[in-house]
Order: sequence, then C-alpha cells, then structure tokens
Amino acid sequence: MKETLFLKNTETFAESMIRCGIRCHFAYPITPATDVMKYTSRMLPEHGGRMVQMESELAVSNALAGYACAGKLGATSTSGPGMTLMQEAIGFMAAGELPCIMLDAMRVGPGDGDIIGAQSTYYQATRGGGHGDYRVIVLAPSCGQEIADLMPHGIKLAMTYRNPVLFVVDGVTCQMTETTSFEEPHDYTADFDTSSWAFTGTADHPKRFLVTGSYTHEQGYEMNEKMRQKYVEISDKEQMWEQDQVEDAEVLVVAFGIHGRMCKDLVEASRAKGKRVGFIRPITLWPFPDKAFENIPASVKSILVVEMNHGQMVDDVRLAVNGRVPVHFLGKTGGEIPMCTLAEMTREANNLLEGE
Amino acid sequence: MQTLADYYGKTLKFDKLTSYCPGCGHGIVTRLVAETIEAMGIREKTMAVVGIGCGGFSHHYLEVDAMEAIHGRSPASAIGYKIALPDHIVFTYQGDGDTSAIGLHEIMHAANRGMPITCIMVNNSVFGMTGGQMSPTSIPGQVTSTTATGRDVAVHGYPLLVPEMMRAMQGVSYLARESVVDVKSIKKAAKSIRNAFECQVRGLGFSFVEVISPCPTGLHLSVPDAYAFAAKETLSYFKPQVFKNELEKNDEV
Ligand code: SF4
Repeated sequence: MKETLFLKNTETFAESMIRCGIRCHFAYPITPATDVMKYTSRMLPEHGGRMVQMESELAVSNALAGYACAGKLGATSTSGPGMTLMQEAIGFMAAGELPCIMLDAMRVGPGDGDIIGAQSTYYQATRGGGHGDYRVIVLAPSCGQEIADLMPHGIKLAMTYRNPVLFVVDGVTCQMTETTSFEEPHDYTADFDTSSWAFTGTADHPKRFLVTGSYTHEQGYEMNEKMRQKYVEISDKEQMWEQDQVEDAEVLVVAFGIHGRMCKDLVEASRAKGKRVGFIRPITLWPFPDKAFENIPASVKSILVVEMNHGQMVDDVRLAVNGRVPVHFLGKTGGEIPMCTLAEMTREANNLLEGE
Repeated sequence: MQTLADYYGKTLKFDKLTSYCPGCGHGIVTRLVAETIEAMGIREKTMAVVGIGCGGFSHHYLEVDAMEAIHGRSPASAIGYKIALPDHIVFTYQGDGDTSAIGLHEIMHAANRGMPITCIMVNNSVFGMTGGQMSPTSIPGQVTSTTATGRDVAVHGYPLLVPEMMRAMQGVSYLARESVVDVKSIKKAAKSIRNAFECQVRGLGFSFVEVISPCPTGLHLSVPDAYAFAAKETLSYFKPQVFKNELEKNDEV
C-alpha cells in the first residue's frame, strides 16, 4: 500500500533509500545535507541498519568504498565542499566498479561557498571531480516525489552497471517540505546477485583483488577500455528526460531540477496566451539526454537554458544542438535569492519569441 | 610431490617473485602476516586493505581477498568493510608515509573508534616507492632526497610517534611497536601481529602494530648497513614495546 508523508526533501531522500533497501548511510555533517543523516540515524536502526558518522568526507567516501567491496550498496549525502572532498573515492569506486548512492544537496560555490542552494556542481557532477576517464551516473530530480520515484531506478543503475550514482538536488529543493507518496517498501539491492564480484573471502571463490593502481600497462588499458565500453552503453540506454509542448514550439526552455519544475508553469501560462513555448527537462545529467535534442522540430527558433549557476549545463545543450539553433542562457547564483524567478524566465522566453 | 604450499600453507603465495628490493623488511613483515593468518585458520574470511607505496604490493603475495585503498585511507575503507561483514577479518597493511603522513587522520580516528580491525604500519623512516624522500618518521639528522643536509627538527618537526599518540585511546585493544632488525625482534613482531589479529577475532577493539623495518634502497645503504641503521638509529628514537594488550585480561595467545 502506498504511504503519503509530509517531509523535507532531504528526509524524503533518506526515507526513500531506507524503503528501497539501503541499510548503511555514511555521512559527515554539512548544510543543507545534514538532515539526511539526522533522519537515517533515527530511522535506520529500526530496520537493522545504521548511519555511520565519520570524521570527514574523505573518510566517508572511502568507508563507502570498503562497504561496497563486500557487495553491499551503501549511501552518502553531502553538499558542495563535502562533495569535493569525496571526489577521491568516487573516482576510485568508478575505477573499481563499486556501486553506491549519493546525494549532493547542491549549494553555491566555489571554495567553501555558501549554504545557499544552487546548481553550481553541474560540472563537477557530470565531468568527474577526480582524475581519469570515469563517469558517474547523475540523476536530477525536481521535487520530493521524483526523489522517491527515482530511488529504485538509481539503485538499479548502480547495481547493474556497478557504478556510483549521484542524485543532484539544489539546496532550495532539498529544504522544501512536500507531500510525497511512497511505494510499498522493497529491498531493491537484494534483487542483484553480487556473488560474482564481491570480496567476501576466499571460502567460496578464488582470491579476488581490487587493483586500481599497481596494474600493468596492458591491464590498465583493458580496465579503461572496459569502462569506456560500459559508459558508451549507459549513454546509449539510460538517457532520461521529460518534455512537453515541443512538437510545435518556437522557443524551447531547457532546465533541470527546480527550474525544470518551474518550466511546467511557464509553458502552461505561455500556451494560455497562445505563445508557442515548450520545455525539455533533463532527468539524467550524465548521460546527458542528447536524444531529446536529436529531432527538435524546425519550428524551434531558439533555446533558452535556465540554471542556478553561471552557465554549466548550457554547454551540454550546445553540444547536443550542435549549432542548429541559437542557445541562450539565463542564470543566477549566490545572494539571498539565487534562483531565477518565473517572471524572469517568462520575460526571457518572450524576448526570444519576439526575436530579440 | 610436496609443494611449498603443503609445507607453509596456502596464505603465502610462492608463484611469483616479490617486487620488494633485496633485503627489504617488507618481505619479512608480509610473511609474518601470512603466517599469522595461516596459523589462525582465518584465510578464507580475511580481507586485506593495503595502502599506496611498496607495502601496497603486499597483497600480491597473499592468497586472501584484497583491495588497494587510496593513499592513507585504508583504515576508513577497512571500517566500511567491517561494517558490511562484521564476522570477517580485515587488516590494513600500510607504510609509514601512508599511515603517518597522508593517512594520519584516518588511522587516528579508526583507533579512537575502537572498531575491531587490525592495522599494520611498516615504518622504514623513509618514502621508499617514490624514491627516498623524508617521511614524518625520518629521524633527526637523517639524510633523504628532500633533506639533503639531514632532517632538521626546527624546520621539519620531530619524528611522529604514532602508537604513543594512540596510547590513551580507550578503543585500542592491542598496541605495539616491534622491529624486524634481527631474529629475536622478528619473533617478537610475529607474536604482536598474532595478538593484534587475535584481538580482532575476539572483538576486543582496534589493534595496531608498528614494525620498524629497513629500506636499503630508500636509505641508499647496503642491506647489512640498512639493518644496522634501523637497529641503531631508528630504534633509538622508536622504542619497541607493547603499549597495551587487552588480551592479558583474557588469556594471551
Ligand atoms: S624501496 Fe625500500 S621499502 Fe620499497 S621495496 Fe625497496 S627496500 Fe622495500
């Protein structure tokens, strides 16, 4: 039976992962992600799990790697500077093909930044904050309900591809309290057999070892090539996006997360006035949904990308569009209200409709 | 036909030459760890978490599951693994650079957390793999490739005494400094390593053994001179001793 709860979206992330079978949450306090660990510290023990508060984000992500070695899916949650510290082990986990679920309650940067919510970590999330050719699967829910709905899928992606999966949610959305419906609890992590690779001792398998450093040049080539092929497959199969009113649109608005959510109101209000505006909301940021842009209709005169940063995803939109249509950008970050308002988005879309 | 494995057990692998330089103390310490695992009959449920540096190769010579953790972070990874599989045995094998420079933070918190994992720190007072630079454990006056006129404590600080720093921590169940500079010391080191693993098996808490060892290559000394240096110079600063042994409250092995 479905259950509807009124929760802060950080708590929704915590509740979702508990309901979906995650039993270990490693974390270090940081605003605005801390509510996740407060919630799991209280709720996980009731389900035979635990929240493990470590001494730093470095320790968090490396403990998560150790946990994953045993073939178990753990989780972590953090924000901006914490995410930066975790990059070391995230690259390590990608190289070692170890799964995990992570949340970045994105805040404004750079440096230690500010606790204000933003979308400043798009580059870091999608390009890899660590060294080497690795990829992290990035999901960008736009509300609490979507966090809950995407959790089973995120777990499936993490376990199928044995890769870290990162939820990026801006800090504003994370701190919103919303009504969310949850499906019946189900341990999705148990749907995957990890016995072929987990490090569980040599009782039932010959020695296994996870080497990401001291391999030979040939082994290194093979490892990187295997990963490249995996990323090609993910890129091909796992793109997700939402779109509406694209078919005859003159202006397409592209935004993820909270601005993506606002696009619905923008498009609805514009259409009510007879203005042909449509939207594309990427749900996977990596792989970026290039396919959404493959067949944009000839009616589209321009594209407007809206972000809570100085323009990061806009690069991916430009790559996907490949010069076929002009791509414009509207963004805001820092300050007391780091988001673009609906009025600003509407004004910019109208300017583009009028060919300004 | 009898094989070496029949004779010595399965834990130590004999099928390839080690990458350790001739005369390196790592060879002895790796063997002591292997013999401990073999003697305790825990091979099939043991996980090695090795650090970066020459010691990172240790698992190549052990028939146990293993991961090469990121520089310094082995204790954090070992904790994650132990949480996932509490009935399994997990140990870290790290050099002095890995443990006391880049990984000091992880080792100290692991010790203080008191979770039953075992950490072996091989201290040869120099960065071996990267070519003989100063380590936090280089002794005063020690010439390295980054202290050409010798370690100057006014500039570089004093050698780091890791077990001494852990001594007051309640979560630590076994704490010792040993060496492999001569046969008598090797026998004592074997006992401490065994005790450290035993503490984990009995769930008593965190266990740690620092092993003073020679690095002929990093020290630019002949093998006998490297052993003499470790025995005289290094041990004069790093005094071997058992700091703490919770097994005494139970019965020692
Ligand atoms: S460099 Fe030193 S520590 Fe490394 S293998 Fe050679 S002798 Fe041993």
